[in-house]
Amino acid sequence: MVNYNYGVLSVSITVKGKKITNVGIASLDDGGNFRSQSIDQQSIPLLEQQALQAQSANIQGVSGASYTSAGFEQSLQAALGKLGV
Amino acid sequence: MGTIVTIDIYTEDGNRDPAVSLGLARARATLRRADAIFSTWKADSPMSRLRRGEITCDQAPLEVAEVLELCAIAREMSAGWFDPWAMPGGVDPTGYVKGWAAQAALAALTSSEISGAMVNAAGDIASFGGPQPATPFKVGIVDPFSPGQLACVIALNGAIATSGSYERGNHLIDPRSKRPTTRAASASVSGPDLGLADALATALAVAGETGLTVINALKDYEAVVVSLDGTWRWTEGFPFAVPGQLPVGSEHPSGSVVSLRP
Repeated sequence: MVNYNYGVLSVSITVKGKKITNVGIASLDDGGNFRSQSIDQQSIPLLEQQALQAQSANIQGVSGASYTSAGFEQSLQAALGKLGV
Repeated sequence: MGTIVTIDIYTEDGNRDPAVSLGLARARATLRRADAIFSTWKADSPMSRLRRGEITCDQAPLEVAEVLELCAIAREMSAGWFDPWAMPGGVDPTGYVKGWAAQAALAALTSSEISGAMVNAAGDIASFGGPQPATPFKVGIVDPFSPGQLACVIALNGAIATSGSYERGNHLIDPRSKRPTTRAASASVSGPDLGLADALATALAVAGETGLTVINALKDYEAVVVSLDGTWRWTEGFPFAVPGQLPVGSEHPSGSVVSLRP
């Protein structure tokens, strides 16, 4: 897990049974920082994808460091790279 | 904390009513406050100022003393394998705070409208309930030798934390030698509280499979360790979703599966 100083990104997923009915950004703790907001927005499709993958595997969550390092972190790095950060 | 937290909420009808929104708002506020107090890479956070000796514990928000007290308990319970006071650069409770904050966020979600919820802080999960009444959440544990794959699935009862050297390189400090050390590819700890599970998983990743005897002595906590050679070992009560089904990672060439006999 690489520590980016962009605050906590919180994503809420409301579900019924195994059906995800609502995926969205619940909070961006970025103090109104536009750059960090852009990064977070680019990460959302990946979050959604991972949530749906977990659903299809008949599990509701994943425990492990690479849950971030393999997925979120790469997408964050890509996003950071695109933004020249 | 500089980490990503996802919150999954299961409601009876799949809708977000005001009680659910209120719970989410309280959970987010809890996470934001924990981040503001404990972030060690925000130079002006109370924790950073405490580490530099600019303020005392009494001058910091009450949560600091609370967390440090809990860290001292975790240190004792882990037989010293988890020790925030042995970290370079002064006391660093980061290994406890993430789980503690996620557990506190989960508590904020408690509502009669919510039948189950998970707060997943970068792969460490606090939960209550399940996807349906009387059905536990099923959670996959990442295979440390193939981080895109899951090695096994557990029936979650409370919390699960996983720590491993694949997380960000060899970053764990052995409190005994004060040097970066890893004796396990991955270590997971399940139990009622994610703060303690997080600390114990960190301890176990440093201690390796010999640390399993420490976890085995603790009521309500179970653990699995994947050794650097691919061997899987676990405490007898570790909640595999399908008892007897070998973890996928145990097929690693040099691996074998051995259940710990207490």
